[in-house]
Amino acid sequence: MMNERDEALLAARGHLDRDGRLLSADEPLARLQEDCGGTLPGVIAVPELRALVEDCMRIGLRIGREFSAFDGTFTVTGYVRIHPLDEAMGGGCELLVENWQRQAVEAPSSRDLASRLDDIDRASAEISARLDAEQRLQYVLANAEDAGGLQETVRSSPGRHWSDYLTLKGVAHHQPLHWRLLDGSQCELPGSERNWRIRLLPIGPRSTAPLGFDLLLLADRPLVEPDAEPQATHSQLVGSALTPVLRRPIARIVAKAETIRARLAGPLRAEYSEYAGNIALAGQHLGAMLDDLADIETLDAPDFTTASEPVDLVDAAKRAAGILGVRAQSKNIEIVVQNPAKPVVADGDFRRVLQIFINLIGNAIAYSPDGSTITICAGRSGDDRVELSVADQGPGVSEDQAERIFDKFERLGRDIGADQEPGSGLGLYISRRLARAMHGDLAVTPAEPASAPPGAKFTLSLPARAA
Amino acid sequence: MSKQAAHGRADRRARAKPTPDAEKAMREDLARADRALRGVPPVLAHFLVVPNPPLITDEVVARMRGNLDSLARQLIDSTSRAVIGNDQRTGEIEGLSQCLAASSIVLSFCFALAIESETTERLEKRERIDPVLSPLLQELIASSSEETAELAMKALTAQSRFVQQQRRMSLSLDELPADIFHEVLRRWEAQSEDHPEVAGGLKQLKGSYDEANGRVALLARLLGTMRRDAKAALDLEQAGFALFSTALAQFSNQPRELAVLSSHESQTARLALFLRAAGLDEGALQQQFLLFAHSSRFPTETCNLAPEEAAAILAEASRPQGG
Repeated sequence: MMNERDEALLAARGHLDRDGRLLSADEPLARLQEDCGGTLPGVIAVPELRALVEDCMRIGLRIGREFSAFDGTFTVTGYVRIHPLDEAMGGGCELLVENWQRQAVEAPSSRDLASRLDDIDRASAEISARLDAEQRLQYVLANAEDAGGLQETVRSSPGRHWSDYLTLKGVAHHQPLHWRLLDGSQCELPGSERNWRIRLLPIGPRSTAPLGFDLLLLADRPLVEPDAEPQATHSQLVGSALTPVLRRPIARIVAKAETIRARLAGPLRAEYSEYAGNIALAGQHLGAMLDDLADIETLDAPDFTTASEPVDLVDAAKRAAGILGVRAQSKNIEIVVQNPAKPVVADGDFRRVLQIFINLIGNAIAYSPDGSTITICAGRSGDDRVELSVADQGPGVSEDQAERIFDKFERLGRDIGADQEPGSGLGLYISRRLARAMHGDLAVTPAEPASAPPGAKFTLSLPARAA
Repeated sequence: MSKQAAHGRADRRARAKPTPDAEKAMREDLARADRALRGVPPVLAHFLVVPNPPLITDEVVARMRGNLDSLARQLIDSTSRAVIGNDQRTGEIEGLSQCLAASSIVLSFCFALAIESETTERLEKRERIDPVLSPLLQELIASSSEETAELAMKALTAQSRFVQQQRRMSLSLDELPADIFHEVLRRWEAQSEDHPEVAGGLKQLKGSYDEANGRVALLARLLGTMRRDAKAALDLEQAGFALFSTALAQFSNQPRELAVLSSHESQTARLALFLRAAGLDEGALQQQFLLFAHSSRFPTETCNLAPEEAAAILAEASRPQGG
């Protein structure tokens, strides 16, 4: 475990799944990921970090290395610690970056820059040709499909001045012009619809009297049209853009408010401490809300899919209960997971099922009175369906509430004490969407008016996994 | 003549078919003997064209053997097989130690450590450079930044433990870089296939390992917190050899092991290039160079190279051959 001091060194934290996808990241890391062309969530796009993550996954050890990456403007350096996560927690790894530093890259000298640009042009030219000292074409090499016309002209009348084979644009002056003036100008080729840029690079030790030239023609766009955008854009505003940016300031607000509330910085009147507690609570609420909104966006994305794997529902429920154990204990609530005769295995996405259970059990804890019991039981509900229910002894849900409870931002006035962690009103909406994405459903059983204590019972049903 | 013939007859009479076990044992012995013979030419070649002083000395060999044995001992002891007798334990340690020595990356790492220890001791005797608490480290421990002070304290602890262990010619498993640690565990796992109880020990070792808490990692992290002031660590007398070689490696973008090896007298060209690649000017370069008390000539031509050129030469030399 890291101690507090180590935390202070920490500049950014991120989580990756077992396929190397960055699932969440603090602000600087999220920004670097985007600067390197990646998305969040998405495959980690920082090549240097990616190599280290692969190393870590391969050997399954906690590693710590220096790294340096380029974000397009600055060199980013730091010390990255990568901790593989237990298979039981879904695999993947945690990424902790210390000592995050951004430094301006030393500008290369103009000569170096020019020679680098020449190299890039040499490597990317689709048509290259060799000219003699008089700029007569000696041979031409073309990789482009629309260069057939040019090659045809060259074949029929070889050995002429290169500018005879193409149409120079914006050059009114009569040929021949000094080659330096033509380097970089535009032209059109017979049979090609693209615009081409001309590079003339002298060959030989003296550029004032070159022995010949490399003539490069660079097209303004690739010949193959990129595939059209697959779908109409769906909003990625909150999930990929805002969440990572906002999470850090919110975390800071909460941490500072907690500091004030606990009077760590010195004595304070009780009311102020209480206000600080409210600020912290509101901050936590905001943070949870952001996570939920990002989840909804993910759900709305056209390419959202869930995995299909065997999920032991009782096992998943026990894990969720374990995660929430501390919260339950603080209210003296007992969570009873009834063991079925044989395993209840659903076909679904383990992480999503776990997410639903955490939501259901979390709700149950929030709405249950102190000292009550939450009962979880699983079983088959048909030939090819399995289900798991979470029942609490809280105030329950009336019939008309049951209609609305899965709506966005619906909280049904079931407000809880101010000292509790507030909900966003999105949890059940997300859970039901997730359940349906896995070809299942989430339902609530309204309380019988007569029964006491009434309690609410939420049931997740999923397709059964064929044995 | 007749006596010999009689002997031969008796021999033929006594020859019974050896058991498969015995045959297997003999094959293994022979393979070991072959390995020993194969190792002779490079060793002989080294001693015949020996650099002065030699890279491989009795001390270095003893240190490496000690380090490998100590790694093997920790592995064996990590299993809960308290029942095995002392003799058996010694045998197993020896076997595992040999198995580890067959890995070139483990060997190279231990070799660099041996040279680091040797150089550290030499610098302490000749130049009074403290192996643990250097002036720079003291300064960092007193730093106003809590993070730096904390890391410096951790680095100090790790370094003092390292020096003490090396005096006893032992090496803690936690000090290994991740790939070496992985290799060591892999070899051990392969060797103890018939001992299922090893899996538990392996899991525990893997679970408690964290590369970032090793000595070398702590030194690197400490340098990182110094940001622009990290150049101060390129002064050997101020920084001490441990921090100095970490800085040398960091500034020239080379593995630390190579930076350590460059301190050996047979590696003066490398040292000069390292210092230059780290950006030292002529005066500073010469000053650092002389601290290593080499009798050889100071390669002045290094100063004519730009730091990037020196770094390029180093990078080219350390690139794997034929890759």
